[in-house]
Amino acid sequence: MAVPQAPPTLDRSPVEALSERLQEPRWMRELRLAALDLAGRLPVPSRAEDPWRRTDPAAFELRESRLDPSVVSGPREVPALPAGVIFSALPEAVRAHPDLVREHFMRSVRPEESRFRALHAACWTGGTFLYVPEGVEVAVPLRSEAWIQSADVALVPHTLVVAERGSRVTLVDAFGSMAGTWPALVNGVVELTVKDGAEVRYVVRQDWLADVAAIGVIRGRVARDAALHTLLVGFGGAVVKTDVESLLEGPGGSSEMLGAFFGTGAQHFDVHTVQEHRAPSTLSDLLYKNAVRDAARSIFSGMIRVHKGAQKTNAFQANRNLILSPGAKADSIPNLEIMANDLRCTHGSATSRLNEEHLFYLMSRGLRRVDAVRMVVEGFFAELLDRVPLADVRASIAQDVDRKMVQ
Amino acid sequence: MATTNQLGIDVEKYKYGFFEPENYVFKARKGLSAEVVAEISHMKNEPDWMRAFRLHAYEQFLKKPLPTWGADLSTINFDEIYYYIKPTEKMAESWEDLPQEIKRTYDRLGIPEAERKFLAGVGAQYESEVVYHNLKDEWEKLGVIFLDTDSALREHEDLVREYFGTVIPPEDNKFASLNSAVWSGGSFVYVPAGVKVDIPLQAYFRINAKNVGQFERTLIICEPGSYVHYVEGCTAPIYTTDSLHSAVVEIIVKEGARCRYTTIQNWSTNVYNLVTKRAVAYRDATMEWIDGNLGSKITMKYPSVYMMEPGAKAEILSVAFAGAGQHQDPGGKVVHAAPNTQSVIVSKSISKDGGRAGYRGLVKIYPGATGSRSAVRCDALILDDRSRSDTYPTMEIDEQDVSITHEATVSKVSDEQLFYLMSRGVKEDEAMNMIVRGFVEPIVKELPLEYAVELNRLIALEMEGSVG
Repeated sequence: MAVPQAPPTLDRSPVEALSERLQEPRWMRELRLAALDLAGRLPVPSRAEDPWRRTDPAAFELRESRLDPSVVSGPREVPALPAGVIFSALPEAVRAHPDLVREHFMRSVRPEESRFRALHAACWTGGTFLYVPEGVEVAVPLRSEAWIQSADVALVPHTLVVAERGSRVTLVDAFGSMAGTWPALVNGVVELTVKDGAEVRYVVRQDWLADVAAIGVIRGRVARDAALHTLLVGFGGAVVKTDVESLLEGPGGSSEMLGAFFGTGAQHFDVHTVQEHRAPSTLSDLLYKNAVRDAARSIFSGMIRVHKGAQKTNAFQANRNLILSPGAKADSIPNLEIMANDLRCTHGSATSRLNEEHLFYLMSRGLRRVDAVRMVVEGFFAELLDRVPLADVRASIAQDVDRKMVQ
Repeated sequence: MATTNQLGIDVEKYKYGFFEPENYVFKARKGLSAEVVAEISHMKNEPDWMRAFRLHAYEQFLKKPLPTWGADLSTINFDEIYYYIKPTEKMAESWEDLPQEIKRTYDRLGIPEAERKFLAGVGAQYESEVVYHNLKDEWEKLGVIFLDTDSALREHEDLVREYFGTVIPPEDNKFASLNSAVWSGGSFVYVPAGVKVDIPLQAYFRINAKNVGQFERTLIICEPGSYVHYVEGCTAPIYTTDSLHSAVVEIIVKEGARCRYTTIQNWSTNVYNLVTKRAVAYRDATMEWIDGNLGSKITMKYPSVYMMEPGAKAEILSVAFAGAGQHQDPGGKVVHAAPNTQSVIVSKSISKDGGRAGYRGLVKIYPGATGSRSAVRCDALILDDRSRSDTYPTMEIDEQDVSITHEATVSKVSDEQLFYLMSRGVKEDEAMNMIVRGFVEPIVKELPLEYAVELNRLIALEMEGSVG
């Protein structure tokens, strides 16, 4: 795929033009330009060091000339919502609720963390804003999306979710490309703020087409007695590097982290997860499942970090990989850094091929081999999907698995 | 008032915590240069190829960066280290010939008793050279060679030249380069085809001078169908200035042979212990590393096994205990480069009093290594809220027809276990001790008896005062 090799020339004018087109207030334009300036000073990551040993950062260099604010992103539809709930496209929210956006935008994920985060802050092209006031429960799952619909563009979506105390909400984000193979670049950020006693479920279905390079981060901050559930489903794209991070900042907070990736052809998935326990009596439970076929490669690297004083913590991390053909690769790097002692912490990783006995059993019942394989792969992902109480999401993911199987 | 070290251990009570006055025949100057490297080679009267090897390695050492991962090594001052010290002019033939002070050192380590019991060969390293060697006559008849590596270079030059640096080249990493440039001592073991050495070969190593770096170089060759168990035990006196121990151990295990290498490392808590250990295992061969790390300030050591031909097996057992001021970063690497190869890694780490212990490892499966299996199990016990445990496993799997598992747990000593033992009348500190002993039991039971005793005793010592 076409990858710009040289670091981008950090020209202010496309960013200023973007800000102009989105009719942004002055603070947002200044935030963008400060981040652009920062991006020019932050180093281009080195391949010699983690976290870039296994994926070439050059794949994600953003050229501002490709910025296109006309890409589709934001709520798919806005149902009737309880009073006070805000669910809108992010540029709209910047204009309509500047104080609220300003308080939370690029606060959990900071531009100074890396060149790519800074570029995101400078160049974000759209996204979704969801705000749920204290004590409000949104009964129906909300849906938002971001779509690539033309060639050679950069899609820089930002999803910002703020759940005030004791509120509850579910958001399903769909990322994808319209039909056609277009080289495109995605640099996404998702910030989820879950305040005391609130509960947020966040699902991403990522189904880019073949020529897309995507880098992104999903970061959740979980306060006292709050709960965050994330599910990340990644089936598309050429090179995908995603960080999924849960920061447990208040006692009693919990985070469930689920992920399913299925690579075929020459797809490359590099997923890094963080379960960061900063408060006592917190719980995190992670299960990521990767299947790879053909010459695809999956990388799972996970970190459980339990800080000093985060006693009575429970942290679990499991990674399962299924290698479906010779030539496919799966790396697994489940790390632990534990600085408290009164806790229970485990991780497990298992990688294997298709079990011939399972296939034989199914084929002895009259199934063709291809159908037996599909059934086993579906079963592999089923354990994950069974934990998601969203029937339509489950069904569409099952369809995606089928589609990948015949590709 | 009793003198205590930073671990809170009473130095008087700790019988390895003593040192003898220095009395050396030759002492090289501090610091490293091409001249010092050439001088070491000259002092040892080495063949030209070895001098060239050393000088080449020295160039590599200058080029290589310090590792950017793992423990903090930035405080090592390479200019403050003696790279070669020769304690006596020539090798002692028997125990009686050893200098009085060295004998006293080993008396306290218990070598003579061990020998009286069932020790067969003793290669004892005092300073940078092996000064005492004893090998049973019958093994010599069988063709087994067990020498210090300097002597082996003189007496079996062709054999050394054939294998030296073939498993760990001088370009491998900065500390392997350093060792290759300035190595001294270490053991050379050659076991002919079909010979099974049924009693472990043992060597004690000591560091006993200020700023002395120990750069021993061990080479073990197991011909087809042979078996040997080599035991390396390290105990070091306590000093106040930092010391560097950077060994290289190369092992070749040929078809159907089996080699077991056991280490109990108990360097004093100011020693940087940065060791490269690697074995290649050929068809149906078995390599076993048993690696216990209790001492040192920093240990970075990842014994590895490259399984080069079908049916090769690897087993790595690792125990780490980190107390105050210690960072134990041990682990293991297994490389599956042929079909039907198997590996097992078991790691047990304990951290206490602000210490940091863990596991860092690699499982690599190359394409074509069909039918390979690997299982890694890491358990960590953290004894207080100031200590830290890390687990950094990496699995790179480039082949579908494999079965790879990794599991790890981190926990504290459970209140239920303590309560149970105490309800049976066991005092709390003894109960804690029993639980920790039980935790490391799977590895201790693999050790020769006297080492198992020593490890248990050392752990008991480290555990003192851990309640309350």
